[in-house]
Amino acid sequence: MWWGGRGQSFNISPQKEEPEMGLSRPKSDQGSRMPEPRSNQPSSFLASGCLPGEQILAWAPGVRKGLEPELSGILICTNLRVTFQPCGWQRSQDIPVSSEYDFALVNIGRLEAVSGLSRVQLLRPGSLKSVPEEILIHGRDFRLLRVCFEAGGLEPQAFQVTMAIIQAKAQTYQDQLYAGVTLSTAGQSSGPRKPPVPLLETSEDWEAERKKQGARGWRVSTVNERFDIATSLPRYFWVPNRTLDSEVRRAFGHFHQGRGPRLSWHHPGGSDLLRCGGFYTASDPSKEDIRAMESMLQAGHSDVVLVDTVEELPSLTDVQLAHVRLRALCLPDSSVADDKWLSALEGTRWLDCVRSCLRKASDISVLVTSRVRSVVLQERGDRDLNGLLSSLAQLLSAHEARTLLGFQSLVQREWVAAGHPFLTRLGGTGGNEEAPVFLLFLDCVWQLLQQFPTEFEFSEFFLLALHDSIRVPDTLTFLRDTPWERGKQGGQFKSFTQVYTPPAGNAVNQQLSVWDWGLRYSNKQIQQFHNLGYDPEHCPDSCFPRQQLSFMVPGPPRSVWLFSRGALTPLNQLCPWQDSPSLLAVSSRWLPRPAISTESLADQEWGLPSHWGACPLPPGLLIPGYLGPQIKLWKRCYLRGKPEVQMGLLAPTISGLQDELSCLQELLRKWAPGLSPEDHSEKRDPNTILSQPC
Amino acid sequence: MEIHTNDKEVTEKEVTLHLLPGEQLLCEASTVLKYVQEDTCQRGIYGKLVCTDFKIAFLGDDDSALESDETQFKNKLIGENDITLHCVDQILGVFDEKKKTLFGQLKKYPEKLIIHCKDLRVFHFCLRYTKEEEVKRIVSGIIHHTQASKLLKRLFLFSYAAATQNRTASDPQNHTVMFDTLKDWCWELERTKGCLKYKAVSVNQGYKVCERLPEYFVVPIALPEEDISHFQGHGIPLWCWSCHSGCALLKMSALPKEQDDGVSQIQKSFLDGINKTIHRPPYEILKTEDLSSNFLSLQEIQTAYSKFKQLFLIDNSTEFWDTDIKWFSVLESSSWLDIIRRCLKKAIEITECLEAQNVNVLLLEEHASDLCCIVSSLVQVMMDPHCRTRFGFQSLIQKEWIMGGHCFLDRCNHLRQSDKEEVPVFLLFLDCVWQLVHQHPPAFEFTETYLTVLSDSLYIPIFSTFFFNSPHQKDANMGRESQDAQSSPLNLLTVWDWSVQFEPKAQTLFRNPLYVEKPKLDKSQRKGMRFKHQRQLSLPLTQSKSSPKRGFFREETDHLIKNLLGKRISKLINSSEDLQDNFREFYDSWHSKPTDYQGLLLPHLEGPEIKVWAQRYLRWIPEAQILGGGQVALMSKLLEMLEEVQRLQEQVEERHHSQAALPAEVPPAPRHSARLSSLFPFALLQRHSSKPVLPTSGWKALGDDEDLAKREDEFVDLGDL
Repeated sequence: MWWGGRGQSFNISPQKEEPEMGLSRPKSDQGSRMPEPRSNQPSSFLASGCLPGEQILAWAPGVRKGLEPELSGILICTNLRVTFQPCGWQRSQDIPVSSEYDFALVNIGRLEAVSGLSRVQLLRPGSLKSVPEEILIHGRDFRLLRVCFEAGGLEPQAFQVTMAIIQAKAQTYQDQLYAGVTLSTAGQSSGPRKPPVPLLETSEDWEAERKKQGARGWRVSTVNERFDIATSLPRYFWVPNRTLDSEVRRAFGHFHQGRGPRLSWHHPGGSDLLRCGGFYTASDPSKEDIRAMESMLQAGHSDVVLVDTVEELPSLTDVQLAHVRLRALCLPDSSVADDKWLSALEGTRWLDCVRSCLRKASDISVLVTSRVRSVVLQERGDRDLNGLLSSLAQLLSAHEARTLLGFQSLVQREWVAAGHPFLTRLGGTGGNEEAPVFLLFLDCVWQLLQQFPTEFEFSEFFLLALHDSIRVPDTLTFLRDTPWERGKQGGQFKSFTQVYTPPAGNAVNQQLSVWDWGLRYSNKQIQQFHNLGYDPEHCPDSCFPRQQLSFMVPGPPRSVWLFSRGALTPLNQLCPWQDSPSLLAVSSRWLPRPAISTESLADQEWGLPSHWGACPLPPGLLIPGYLGPQIKLWKRCYLRGKPEVQMGLLAPTISGLQDELSCLQELLRKWAPGLSPEDHSEKRDPNTILSQPC
Repeated sequence: MEIHTNDKEVTEKEVTLHLLPGEQLLCEASTVLKYVQEDTCQRGIYGKLVCTDFKIAFLGDDDSALESDETQFKNKLIGENDITLHCVDQILGVFDEKKKTLFGQLKKYPEKLIIHCKDLRVFHFCLRYTKEEEVKRIVSGIIHHTQASKLLKRLFLFSYAAATQNRTASDPQNHTVMFDTLKDWCWELERTKGCLKYKAVSVNQGYKVCERLPEYFVVPIALPEEDISHFQGHGIPLWCWSCHSGCALLKMSALPKEQDDGVSQIQKSFLDGINKTIHRPPYEILKTEDLSSNFLSLQEIQTAYSKFKQLFLIDNSTEFWDTDIKWFSVLESSSWLDIIRRCLKKAIEITECLEAQNVNVLLLEEHASDLCCIVSSLVQVMMDPHCRTRFGFQSLIQKEWIMGGHCFLDRCNHLRQSDKEEVPVFLLFLDCVWQLVHQHPPAFEFTETYLTVLSDSLYIPIFSTFFFNSPHQKDANMGRESQDAQSSPLNLLTVWDWSVQFEPKAQTLFRNPLYVEKPKLDKSQRKGMRFKHQRQLSLPLTQSKSSPKRGFFREETDHLIKNLLGKRISKLINSSEDLQDNFREFYDSWHSKPTDYQGLLLPHLEGPEIKVWAQRYLRWIPEAQILGGGQVALMSKLLEMLEEVQRLQEQVEERHHSQAALPAEVPPAPRHSARLSSLFPFALLQRHSSKPVLPTSGWKALGDDEDLAKREDEFVDLGDL
């Protein structure tokens, strides 16, 4: 019953691409006469949309069902994607990947064929027994493509295309799928261009970003320029000014996979947010190494808080399991009765994952903003939850991160450059390490967005676009596990064992990233990325206390804390090796010393948010709600199969008001040039409902 | 314990109790400690607890803080710490850390008093520091005045009316149609074009025929007036509303069950007669919807709500956290949301009959005054855009609930006579409407705040609206019936006179700035509009299903009679599968099209779409609010823009009139809009009683004193910036 709506990734009215019926109708023309088997490749109108290296494997005419309007067109399977191409629709040269009609092969979660009354899931090529009448492609991104094949002699083609999809899908798990595909060249012709978001692949980018954050005690380290410390680390990162590169190199060796402490973000109030991997307990650091490590963790502050990121958060397996359950629940034909929906939703535990992340992020942002200190996020791998928490904490405490550009560079820095294993986590490698941590992050951001609708410059549609982009194979941003692999593919350097050759001239800038939205979205859609309710006046820059003068305090930290289970526990040392080697065998975590100050601990009562309200927190800090009634389901994303998702938001009226406002301002400006009203509105299409008659 | 610190300048301001006209102080107790609800630590404010014949009030010693002007949404009658006697739900006492419900005569007096209110506030009063005899007096006083059953005449309503008798009753200049005159009914008939087939009658003037029915009502034109008196108005189809296609929504109260065969024979032939008259053209098909079978029972509603409200009546944060883990399943197990869904679904089914199948619908219920009211009002809200304006909605409540004889007195248990009768039917209706408001904000002229305030007004015994079981009861007790001229009838206020409760500024929060108004057309055009409803019959009507020839007529009549006589048959004439299909088709087809906010409006019923009315239920729980967030933030941004648009429009207007150069106007000062809570406007009140703004000791433990000093410096600097 619920076939509607899927496949539509956007709430935008279809961009007038309803096929003109009179004009060339390749489908029905061919449908009427039996096409000769091979020679009739519709290469003329198919190849035009192909990416370089893309090959059409099979195609068959069909009708897309479930969405209004029903479209007839062609279902095409290439070695990259499955596309439904409506007749008369011309793939625009500028937008080689369509957010509406394309399904990347990696994105295909489940395939089903319908013939007669039976519905079979297609797992292997062998499971296709008869000619399908209809094929259902369930996207991992919660979209659904449902194509009904044409009858009348075209059955072989239907069979072929279905077969091709099954095979191509099976092959995607072989990693080298994209190896042969050189990426979209759109936009390259326009000469050297600046990427829309700094990709943080040059030291200049890092230096500029450091300056922007005002992190004066920090410098860009080039120690990993050849990826010889860790391939999962970016080539550049920030370390304290006073730490030498040789010290960095030595210290990083004592961390899991060489991921030593690096600055994530410098809070304007003076605090520093750091992230690092777990201590590599098998190593035996020398005294100097320990001192170097400590001074890097301390980052010049007298107060250091170590945060065990993993604790109280779902494990990667939990995340994956919850996401699988959520997908099952949100299937259009899931059989959950309406009155059992809430407990079914609870049963997926996805919302629990979301709220535990928000809760922890909220804790961390309070730790960072309430006092000047160094806050170190430590996760064994430092590639999953550290990124999630550090990004969320920044979103909560810095309004720059809530702008469109700021958010994109945040993702680029904390996820892409920091080496989040996107490909593995999103199931691209077929291993059992799949865990959609990044999607969990997007959901958390969406929660913040709906809790604070005026604090973010980007809109829900932007998040949705990002959500849908993670498996689109047009850029490498989300299709590689490490910055090294990404760089290798992007042609920055020929071979990683060889001497690195700096890219000549603008070659780096030529690289496309997911942030080149023009590749997949039309201008009208991109315009919807802006949140009309955004109120930049809410974020005064001066809200942070002046930086402390005694910024870099030499000497050992005076207080070291472990933040655990919503409470701060004093630690007697930063690194686990110093005094008690016996602990090493137990775990990589430090055991807190028996609390000598039980009294003060009892006083702290950490974890009760009502106490935070009592602290003079900077006004720019958002304190998210993470209680049952406050965490919602991202319906626009997960329930795309169900028509109710497209329910009215306030947006049309806001944009209507915006239009009216700018129109009136325009009018007045014409008359009275002296008058300069604060024009914070952009021109928008005026075809929206106005709540007030003009 | 006491956080009152500014003792020097404030010269022990003795807080005075504001009494309404006619209100009397009954008992009081001093040095009562009112706990701050939001945390487990036992902090609070000292003050006086008083009980009058209207309310229980707490007068804090440092009330000055509470009187700050920021409380722009202040109820003029009821303060933040006032509880009207009718609003008290349950009183608990704490004896040696154990909670016990208090009622009747007490042997032992508690050290702590917990009051659960019907608007879901929870008050904690500590009586440990109060004199013993004062404790006895106040506790037994409160228990007596809130829980003992009382006579209707003893309602505060009457003392208030008597005391304000001589004041010039400000005519509210209300556009709400009260439906207490023949004219009002005629007007409504005219408005809905129902006057061709239905007539307003005044048979019941002076309640001669029936005390349950209003003095005036509307019946089919062909119905002989003498029939009405036959069974005291039972078994008579009463008109609720006509839709644009001419189909009408009717309601009928069932005939009393009779054992005697002879009597039931008479009943049967009577109903036969009625049926013949209403089946004669122009009425055509009539479909009967029996709400007392196959639908909700009052018992279910009661049970569900009492479970549901426990989610919100929490004593402290800890309790809230405990339920939080299982929030969704606990919520689901109360099945309150499911009951809402079933009501909305029933309303859609009936809408489908009226709109798509073009049949009249007759709602049937024992007294036609509970579920009938919900369903018929919901149908009208969905189908008639007039009912989505504020005055239209108020008129609807007047028509269907007040004149429809919904027993507010019993259902709200205002007189504390029977707990069994207490069923939140009206609240259920408001919650259903809230779902619609929440799903389709631009379609409603009023906001959720309006609905919340309306639900609160149920317990304010100043207004007559919700304090009678029927219009007859009201008139009888107002002295209108007694003809002695010297005692002029009492003048009771209606709740629709919002200025009694709120200042005009606060009332602006009732208006939805997003409301998409009806395009103003000239008359001729509008006439055309009526019949060219945008969504009218938009679906591919399966002709076979609505064919009137399907034996529907006869069997249905029979069915009706059987039902009316109380011999319910389980098998429906329309097989339920058919019904389901029609419903589904109608529902899906409506939702697949863009919404016309001035046309038919259907709610979404899916699991994820029915939500908790956060503003009403969660407003007193500090943990549940998001500072600076929620829809409120968006709304205030919107209001700002609206104001800006208006200002510019005025300028343009001015410009048009005077071609002279515009004086270089100073752009408006940037509005310093404070960050509001997501539960605004209610949570704002709550925040005033919150804790000190200094860091707690826990934070001191994190750094040494030197650090703290530095920190304070920072905040001085902050001020300078």
